[in-house]
Amino acid sequence: MNNSPIRIVTDSACDVPPTLAEQLGITIVPVYVNIGQESYLDGVELTRDEFYQKLPQYDPYPTTAAPSSGSLAAVYQQLADEGATDIISVHIASSLSATCQAAHLGAESVEGANVHIFDSQQITLGGGLLALTAAELVAVGHSTPDILARLEQLRPHTRVFGMLDTLDSLRRSGRVSWAQFGFGTLLQIKPIMVVHEGEVTVAARVRTRSRSQQTMLTMVEELAPFERLAVIHAAAPEAAAELQAKAQHLFPAGQDIPITAITPAIGAHLGLGAVGFACIKQAE
Amino acid sequence: MTTNTDTKPTPPKWLQCNGQQFRKLAHAALLWLEQNHRHVNELNVFPVPDGDTGTNMLLTMRSAYGRIADNGETHVGTVAKAMAHGALMGARGNSGVILSQIWRGLARELQDKEAFTSVDLAQALQEAADTAYSGVMRPVEGTILTIIKEAAAEAKDAAKKSQDLRFVLERVLERSEQALERTPEQLPILKQAGVVDSGGQGLVYILEGMLRYVHGEIRDLEAQAVALAQARTQTAPAQAHAVPEGGSIENPYDVQFILMGQNLNVEEVRQRIDAMGDSTVVVGDETTIKVHIHVKDPGQPLSYGISLGHITDVVVENMQEQMEEIVHASAAPAPVPMVEAPTIEPGQIGVVAVAAGEGLANIFRSLGAVQIVQGGQTNNPSTEEIFQAIQDVPSNKVIVLPNNKNILLAAEAARDLSPKEVAVVPTRTTPQGLSAMLGLNLDGELEETAKAMEMSYAYVATGEITRATRTVEIDGIKVEEGALLGLVDGRLCASGPEMDDILDKILTGMEMEEREILSIYYGQDVTAVDAQAFGRQIEEHYPDVELELLPGGQSHYLYILGAE
Repeated sequence: MNNSPIRIVTDSACDVPPTLAEQLGITIVPVYVNIGQESYLDGVELTRDEFYQKLPQYDPYPTTAAPSSGSLAAVYQQLADEGATDIISVHIASSLSATCQAAHLGAESVEGANVHIFDSQQITLGGGLLALTAAELVAVGHSTPDILARLEQLRPHTRVFGMLDTLDSLRRSGRVSWAQFGFGTLLQIKPIMVVHEGEVTVAARVRTRSRSQQTMLTMVEELAPFERLAVIHAAAPEAAAELQAKAQHLFPAGQDIPITAITPAIGAHLGLGAVGFACIKQAE
Repeated sequence: MTTNTDTKPTPPKWLQCNGQQFRKLAHAALLWLEQNHRHVNELNVFPVPDGDTGTNMLLTMRSAYGRIADNGETHVGTVAKAMAHGALMGARGNSGVILSQIWRGLARELQDKEAFTSVDLAQALQEAADTAYSGVMRPVEGTILTIIKEAAAEAKDAAKKSQDLRFVLERVLERSEQALERTPEQLPILKQAGVVDSGGQGLVYILEGMLRYVHGEIRDLEAQAVALAQARTQTAPAQAHAVPEGGSIENPYDVQFILMGQNLNVEEVRQRIDAMGDSTVVVGDETTIKVHIHVKDPGQPLSYGISLGHITDVVVENMQEQMEEIVHASAAPAPVPMVEAPTIEPGQIGVVAVAAGEGLANIFRSLGAVQIVQGGQTNNPSTEEIFQAIQDVPSNKVIVLPNNKNILLAAEAARDLSPKEVAVVPTRTTPQGLSAMLGLNLDGELEETAKAMEMSYAYVATGEITRATRTVEIDGIKVEEGALLGLVDGRLCASGPEMDDILDKILTGMEMEEREILSIYYGQDVTAVDAQAFGRQIEEHYPDVELELLPGGQSHYLYILGAE
C-alpha cells in the first residue's frame, strides 16, 4: 500500500483480478446479475464457476444491472472518511452500462473527497487494465491530474477482442443495439468482437474456431507492441491457455496478469466459450 | 444440312444486305435455333442438371430479336446496334454472354453502314470474333470461340473470291460445321462424352438458320414464328388440364414434335393426329408443323410424322408419373418464412446474390445480401436481371455474387453495364458465396471488401448431390441416367444407385477429416425428416465435425454441402 491520499475504485464488470486489487488497494464495487426473479451481487453472492456452469440452463436468460448510486456513494464516503482526498473511479463504458451514471449520482453526496469518474469506454479487463494503470501511477506518487491525463491518453489505445462461439447470447442480451449482429441469424457464425472507445463492432465473421483464433491473433499482432496485454475467457480456461501460448511473443516484458475469467455480468452477453484479449497498445 | 437442289436456276448475286434484310436473317436464325435448341441442350457434357446451353442461347437470341422485331429501320448499323443491345441485356449463361459479345462486335463494325457487303461482313465477323475472345478471361479452343474465329477467317477468304453474300454465308457455314466437328479433338472432355461443343452447335444453328432463309427453305418467317409461338402457348394450358382430378389418365403420354416436310396439309395432319388421342394442338404451315397430343401409344403419332417428312424436337412425357410427383410434392412441408433483407444506407455496400432456392435466398439475406436474383444451375439469370438487381440496390456501391460458374460472365456483363461502382466476387458455388458474405463490411471500400470476401471463401469445400441427366463416362466414372451423382468443387467424383456410397466418396473428396464445420442445404425434393437422417449418417462418421442442417429449397440438387 501507499501513502497517497488518492484512491482507485472500479466495478466488477472491469474484471480486475481480486489479488491484484488487494495488492494495489483498488476497491471493487459489484454490479448486479439478475437471474430469474433473483438479483445477485457479482463476485460476492455469485461465483464465476457457479454461474457459467448453470448458464446454459438459465431461463429466462440472465441480465445485468448497474450498482445503485447509493452503494457507490457509500463506498466513496467510506474512502473519504478513511482520509482519501481524491477518488478516481474507473468504470465500464457508459455507452453499454448505467454504472458511470450511477457513479456520478453517487459522487454528488460525498463529503471530504473529490470523486473523478472515468468512463473507460471498455468492458471487462479493458477497463480493468486502465484501473490497474491508475493504481500503479498512484503507487509511484503521481498527482490526480497527471493520472487522469494518462488515462485519457491510453483510452483510445485500449481494446478488447473476443472470439465468440455463437451470436446467440449477444442477441439475447438485448442490452444494446447491436445493429451488425442482426445478420447471421441462420448460419452458425463465429464472430470476432472488438470493443473500442465505447463501440462494440464485429471485426470479422468466420465459420470455424481455428480460423477465428488465427484471425484474432493476426488482428492483435498488428497492434503490437503493447503497454499491456492480457487473456480473458468466459469459462474456457483451456482455450485461454492455448491463446496465451500462441501470443507469447506479444506480451510486454515484466507484465504478469494471470489469465482472467470474464465476469458473469459480461460473460452473460458473450456466451460460454468466449475467449480473447484485453490490451493497451503503446502510444507512438 | 440440306443444300439447294440442282434443278433451281442460279439466283442473282446478292451484293448488299440492308437493315430489313438483316432483320430477316436474324429472325430466321432465331426460329432455327428455337426448333433445334433441345438438341443443343442434349450436348451438355456433364450429366448434371445445368443451365442448358441451348436454352440460354435461345433466350439470348429472343431478347436480341425482340429489340428489332417491329423495327422498320433500313440502316443496317442501327438495326445491328439495337439487336446487340437486346442480346446483351438478355444474355444468360456463359454461352449466351459470348453470343451477345459476337453480336456486339458485329454491330460495332457495322455501325456506320447503310448496308453491308461481303467485305464488310468479313470485317464484322472478325470484330465479332475478337470481341468474343476479349470477353473471356481464359479463352478455350474447341468452343463457340473457335467457331466464330473460323467463321471470320472463312468470310475473309470467301469475300476475296466473291462479292456474293450468299456465297460467303455458304462458305462460312460449311467451315463452321467443319470446325464444330473438330471440337472433340480440341477438348478431351467432349471426346469422352462423345459430343461436339454445345455453344458451337448453337452458333452453327444460327448461321444455318440464316442460310436456310437465303436458300428459301424458310419462306414465311412470320407464319412460322406464329406457329411456333402458338405451339408454345397452347401446349402449356393443354398440359395443365390434362391431369385429371385424381384417378388414372386415359391417355398418359404427352407427345410433342415438330414435323418438317414439303407441301404439308395442316388440316389433314390435325385430323389424323386428333383421332389418336386428346388435347390435340396442330399448328404450322406447309413446311413446318408443331404437333402436340396426349395418347396411349406414343409410337403412333411419331410413326405418322415420319411418314410425312422428318421430325425434330421430340418430347414424350409420362403424365401419370408427373401427376404422382405433383401429389407427392404437395405433401412437402410449407415453405420457410422469408427473412427480410437488411436495409442499407446510400454510401454502404449492397450485395446482390444469385440464389437457387428460397431457403438459400433467406440465408443470403440473413448474412446481409440486399438483393436476391433467383437462379442457379438450371435457370441462369440474364445479364438484365442481374443488372436490374444492381440498379435496385439503394446504394452506388454494389458487390455481385454469381455463385455459379455459368453465371459469372453474365454478372460481369451486368457490372460493365451499370453506372454504379460494382465488383463481382467470382464465387462458383453456393457455399462459396455464403462464406464470402462473412467477409462483407458494409462500410468498407469496394475493392478492399471484395478482396476480403474472396479471402473468406478460400477454405470452403463444396459437395453436391444430384441425379444424372444422361448416361456417360467421364474421368473413368460410369454414370447412368437417373443415378445419383456426387460432385466436389464442380468435379464429378462418384455416381451410383446408393446414397451411402456417394456420400462416402464426397466426404472423402471434401477432406472431412480436416474440417470443423459442415453445412447441409437440402433441396426442395428432400423432406426435413430425410435430411435429418442424412445428417445423422454424417455425424456417425465424423463425430467431431459441427453439423448444421438448413432448408435450401433448390431444385434438382438434393443436397449442397459446404465444409470449412
